[in-house]
Amino acid sequence: MASDSRPSRKLLVGLALAILFDTGLQIFWKMAVSALPDQPTLLLTLEGIIHQPLFLLVGLFMVGQCFNWLAVLNHADLSYAHAITSLSYVSVAVLSVMVLGEIIEWQQLAGIMLILSGVWFVTKSDHSSAPVKSEAS
Amino acid sequence: MTPTHFGIGLVIAATLIEGFAQVFLKKAALAHTGKTSWRVLGFAFFGIEGLVYTWSLRFVAVSVAFPLGSLSFVAVTLLSQCLLRENVDRNRWIGIVLILAGASLVAGRA
Repeated sequence: MASDSRPSRKLLVGLALAILFDTGLQIFWKMAVSALPDQPTLLLTLEGIIHQPLFLLVGLFMVGQCFNWLAVLNHADLSYAHAITSLSYVSVAVLSVMVLGEIIEWQQLAGIMLILSGVWFVTKSDHSSAPVKSEAS
Repeated sequence: MTPTHFGIGLVIAATLIEGFAQVFLKKAALAHTGKTSWRVLGFAFFGIEGLVYTWSLRFVAVSVAFPLGSLSFVAVTLLSQCLLRENVDRNRWIGIVLILAGASLVAGRA
């Protein structure tokens, strides 16, 4: 539930952690998948996940992300918090070039800019529309 | 269907699943009773999403897959409107259109 007041320090820290977890998760996830044997079937992928230790790290990032996200949702609207975490699009794009050696083309850069612009509009919308609590339980 | 198109389809499927997972976790935050049930449901959907997304990374680069995940903004907004009764105003819809355009640009490169 958003309010008219500025985001609390607790919420800002939670959102920053969410972006960090998201970025680390994506990079390590791709590294883990890249280390799997080159046989793209679902069953072999599942078997590879069990035997690839990098997926343990991915799991730890997921757990951290889950606990942090639950805390964030207690202090902000879903649409508000979800939009703020879009900053990880930028960090993932930068790190995918620096760490994974991927190539970002201008179309992707333009696409990412459009996505961020869209998210900016979303955050400018009235995020104080509290849902009907009695129907949430 | 090329492997890349298949991978993009998997990312989109994962995005929809994530939309439901997010709504379930928000339901848990809002609920006075039954928080655990909503959380279990949310995490279960995140687990399914994780498997589908992992599989998708076999076919597309993370720099393509991750921005495509922005489609979850559409899923989350629509599901929030339908299931959480949130108001979606004009600015939010403009944002969604921009997000969709951006995601299309990213996917078009793949």
